[in-house]
Amino acid sequence: MTEKPGWLTADLCAYIEAVAYEFHVRAFGEQLARINFLPLEERKTEVRAMVEHARAMGVRHEKPALGVTP
Amino acid sequence: MNYAELDSFYRQIVGTVRAGGFPCAITSGMACVNYGVVETTNDCDILCGTDGARGLLTTLQEVRVDGEGASYRGTMSAPLDTRWLRGGWTAHFVWRSARAEAYLDVFGVPPRGTGDWASEVRDLYAGRHTVAEMKRTNRERDWPYATALGAQLLAAGDARGWLHIFDLDVLEAFADRIPRSDSLLALRPVLRLLGDARLKQALHVEREFWFELDRQRLSIYQRAVRPYASAVRKDPMATRIPLSAQHAVRVEWAEKLLPTNPIHDHGVDAMIADARGELLKLFEPSLLQWLPDVRENFQALEKRGHD
Repeated sequence: MTEKPGWLTADLCAYIEAVAYEFHVRAFGEQLARINFLPLEERKTEVRAMVEHARAMGVRHEKPALGVTP
Repeated sequence: MNYAELDSFYRQIVGTVRAGGFPCAITSGMACVNYGVVETTNDCDILCGTDGARGLLTTLQEVRVDGEGASYRGTMSAPLDTRWLRGGWTAHFVWRSARAEAYLDVFGVPPRGTGDWASEVRDLYAGRHTVAEMKRTNRERDWPYATALGAQLLAAGDARGWLHIFDLDVLEAFADRIPRSDSLLALRPVLRLLGDARLKQALHVEREFWFELDRQRLSIYQRAVRPYASAVRKDPMATRIPLSAQHAVRVEWAEKLLPTNPIHDHGVDAMIADARGELLKLFEPSLLQWLPDVRENFQALEKRGHD
């Protein structure tokens, strides 16, 4: 989508983002909500830290190989 | 291999396939990280144009992790071959070295995807609309990702975001502020109930419908894969290196035992009817009137039969 529709005013865009942030807090928790709204490179740094910490604690992220994926 | 190295590794694979002229994109968890809906995932799912299977296989044969080549993962992985990718199968790969592991799953057809995913690609990632459609799974944890991506689409002015919001509070917050076209209401009838006391229940039924569709879809593939998986498990040649040799063994068994498109064989309409039948065990029939027509979500599989 290259052209913004007429209904998408700056106020509405800010409102959507505020509702979305509140949803992220409710659905993912405050820490992930904060990370989700960071700039991309900072976000990747945070994800890397979480994945590596989980791996160090013995968590495996490997999904089952079933020939089909949900 | 840390996350940044993995990210770069997978981007290199996708970039190489694209340079060969075939559509290819990172999807699922890593795409979600890119879009600001973080998943702590370590593996990578990619979408690959089904005609690009051979090119992708060649790339995977060449790419190394600490000098180690790729292997097929598990006995149920379909061969990375146009015929099975078109039928909705996934091919699974792993690189294992003493220092690192990297996992890659390859889709040719995005589950529940409508339209042309390749035209929605942004940078090296599948578009938000495609990723959100793929998140309507039978796993509870996937649904907030769909809603978050839907809100992002709306914030970007893409009204299709309405199709992905499954959270009651978010729907109600947007109801009076963001317009909904007749075509959207036709695609998702539950949107007609915004502001209506029946919305909560209809939304619950709608989500259960997608859950049940995914359960039905997975069980069709799981039944179809058993003879093939059993043959691969017993074949000592299936795990030999290099990848090209593993691939040849899988293709040989798949040609004998793995139907290319089990959803087509079962029938999309039959699968949908099965899912609706399960809902009727739980809900009043009148509640099913708000369910979407999901045939378009499986059209790619309906059209493509055996090659």
